[in-house]
Amino acid sequence: MPKCIIDGKEVEFIPGENVVEAAKRAGVEVPVFCYHPGLTVVAQCRMCAVEIEKMPKIQTGCSTKVTEGMVIKTQTENVKKARSSVMEFLLVNHPLDCPICDKSGECDLQDNSFKFGSPYMRSTEERRAYVDLDMGPVIQKNMNRCIHCTRCIRFGDEIAGIHEMVALKRGNNTEISTIDGKPLETDYAGCYADVCPTGSLTLKDFRFNKRAWFLKKTATICEGCSRGCNMELHHENNVAHRCIPRVNMDINKYWMCDEGRFNYQYIKDELRISQPRVLNGGEQQSAEWAIAISRARAALAGKKAVVLVGTDLTNEEGKILLEFLPKYLKGTPVFHFGTPGVTAVADDAPADRILKRKSKTANLHGIEKLGFKGLSVIPSGTEAVLVIRAGRAQIPDLTGVKNRVGIGVFDQSQTEDWLVVLPGQAFAEKNGTIVNYEGKEQKYKKALNPPENSKPLSETLMLWMNSQISGGVS
Amino acid sequence: MQQTETLFIQHFGNPESRLLDYYTSRMIGYQALKKAFGMGQDAIISEMKASNLRGRGGAGFPTGVKWGFIPKQSPKHKYLVCNADESEPGTFKDRDVMRYTPHLLFEGMVIAGFAIGSNIGYIYIRGEYVKEAQILEDAINEAYAKGFLGKNILGSGFNFDLTVHRGAGAYICGEETGLLNSLEGKRGEPRVKPPFPAQAGAFGGPTIVNNVETLACVPHIISRGGDWFSKLGKLEKSGGTRLFCVSGQVKKPGLFELPAGGVTIRQVIYDYCGGILNDAKLKGVIPGGSSAPVLTPDEIDVVLDIEPLQKVGSMLGSAGLMVISEDYCVVKLIHRITKFYAHESCGQCTPCREGCHWMEEVIHRILHGKGREQDLDLLTDIANNINGKTLCALGDAAAGPVLSFVKKFRPDFEAYIRGKKCLSA
Repeated sequence: MPKCIIDGKEVEFIPGENVVEAAKRAGVEVPVFCYHPGLTVVAQCRMCAVEIEKMPKIQTGCSTKVTEGMVIKTQTENVKKARSSVMEFLLVNHPLDCPICDKSGECDLQDNSFKFGSPYMRSTEERRAYVDLDMGPVIQKNMNRCIHCTRCIRFGDEIAGIHEMVALKRGNNTEISTIDGKPLETDYAGCYADVCPTGSLTLKDFRFNKRAWFLKKTATICEGCSRGCNMELHHENNVAHRCIPRVNMDINKYWMCDEGRFNYQYIKDELRISQPRVLNGGEQQSAEWAIAISRARAALAGKKAVVLVGTDLTNEEGKILLEFLPKYLKGTPVFHFGTPGVTAVADDAPADRILKRKSKTANLHGIEKLGFKGLSVIPSGTEAVLVIRAGRAQIPDLTGVKNRVGIGVFDQSQTEDWLVVLPGQAFAEKNGTIVNYEGKEQKYKKALNPPENSKPLSETLMLWMNSQISGGVS
Repeated sequence: MQQTETLFIQHFGNPESRLLDYYTSRMIGYQALKKAFGMGQDAIISEMKASNLRGRGGAGFPTGVKWGFIPKQSPKHKYLVCNADESEPGTFKDRDVMRYTPHLLFEGMVIAGFAIGSNIGYIYIRGEYVKEAQILEDAINEAYAKGFLGKNILGSGFNFDLTVHRGAGAYICGEETGLLNSLEGKRGEPRVKPPFPAQAGAFGGPTIVNNVETLACVPHIISRGGDWFSKLGKLEKSGGTRLFCVSGQVKKPGLFELPAGGVTIRQVIYDYCGGILNDAKLKGVIPGGSSAPVLTPDEIDVVLDIEPLQKVGSMLGSAGLMVISEDYCVVKLIHRITKFYAHESCGQCTPCREGCHWMEEVIHRILHGKGREQDLDLLTDIANNINGKTLCALGDAAAGPVLSFVKKFRPDFEAYIRGKKCLSA
């Protein structure tokens, strides 16, 4: 590999790489605002100032490609002065409302100000102020905090494929806005908050929820479709607060869609069933596990039944079912389900030009590979159904099937007339393996404790094996 | 006063000179173009290099060298763009070139297009030049009708189409990449360089952007030779004559065509312009459009050309001299200049967007009796933090005047800060 010199150290670089990236790999931080590795380089913020031998002026590290033998200096007095002056310029009009800003604690502006700025403010002039328009349900805008880095504009243009964010007016009055102040249209709008280096674009969903520094961060995988975008689940005190994409250049790069980002919310939904439920006299009630299990067995016994296995289950759960079903529900047909219209791996295809896949569950490919067959229609004459799922697979139309039993994650509105529901664990509440559309195996990592009275699938099945069929089906 | 040959100014003011008849009977009349077709591309470019013609827009880059940067082969169309944005305050020379000698410009453009292998030319003219845009349109129609533009020009097999594109009134669109963005229908913001326009300019193709006066010199160079043109200039590196725009408090302001590097500022003011208005004392001179650092009366014996002005810390820029007499308040003037640059900043890069406006506010405060002792150091520091650290030259254009005014007219600012009144006005 070719070499350059950064702060006196010989450093290898990848041809075509810019100074910021080469320095990063050498452990040298060149601070940035407008530069984002997934977007085009515009060299606007001027924060990544460096000195390069044989070049008279300060250069920007983002727009300077490293060449063989280049001598780069990131710690000279000139560089420090340039950085601190950029920080000062950016704060001349910034409201400094960190105490009430959601970005506080994870804000590039704050961090770079702390590291590279001056503690003194020389400006006494009136600060610039804007009136903000609503940008739709996903993003809260606060233009006063904006530092005009244009990452959002470039994200829209280059990644989301929609020209909806623009710069209006010019100079000191430049306003970053949507065209004609319309609400955002892209279904990747959450990424606008991710790329924003300050608190100008924040998630409405996360607004005033939790200070960033209280959040615990668990690296896991999105269960929203068969791509398996890598993400971080942020939570505190066993409550999930948000998801943000985690970089994986092979799968989702820096991005994720809104559907995946906000999918986690059902985990803390009030209607989620967290106790075993049985139908008594037309009304569902909480019940002891032992009673509920016996009732579930009775509901299926002696009837023409089918088992539906969600493609939102993990490989581990799928394998247990492969052991369990032939022994304890002998002869009962088993199908997988998850997304209407996607009954097999062959039906899975890109759902847009960015990340989304047609299969709205994460493990279609894994479950099918284990040998489960997809459900096209419920066989006619079916009297009973056992639905096993993790919360994401879309329950098929069960009209006409009178005896319904569920194991896993359900909400009350979906299952109010089901005979038995045995509560299970959502993707964020367990470890497990899923296989994405390209055959890549990835792991869910447990971030949250499941509801106290729910059980992992393995335990539920163990109880099932050890229980008796109770008399009488209500 | 020296009498030297002039290329343009004898035609300025003549309502006939814009017509093709006049151009073919009394000027070069597309004869240089005919000659150029016979010379071939390389010979034209070497003639241009020999002429020592330096860009008349502000940067002063040797035109022949610039043309040489265009790759011979290109998978994309090559473009020739004439920068007629003339937006630097104090500059009004290109306007008269377009008003009175449009065909000279066109002939220069066809020659340039032929030399670099481009069949598409644009004249990007500032939006405020409404009449001039119409004059150009009319003249283009004439030239098309007579076969000096369009297909197979003069039977050479060379095609060249020329389009006038009107800007919408932004200083920044005089910066060549800002101009190209605007030409493409995008926001008028300068681009990151590299790539330079010669590699990837208009619509991604190799592009030459030349100033109006620069291109209007080309037919003269081709018809009479690079050497002849070079010798019109009085300094080794600067060929030709130059159009100097003189404004401000002189008795006879206006356009003067003088040999490049042949006169000092003092000569221009006192010999050509008849001295200061009301015979007042000279306070200062801005020698190259409002972005050029100001010079004081003891500095005006400098020769008006690129290197000599660089040596005294200023620049020739677009050769727009603004003369300031003792009757004029320099604090008001720098406020107006700074306000202009703050208003014209595109807003892309941090130092220019925030810094120019901040400087304007500080100066505004000083002007309105709310200045503080430390403001002058603050202004200097803000300007230094902009200077040389921005995406394009607009930052430097805003910082240079502030730095020089505060340094050279410090007592005037201090008077405002302490005594709340101006020394001069």
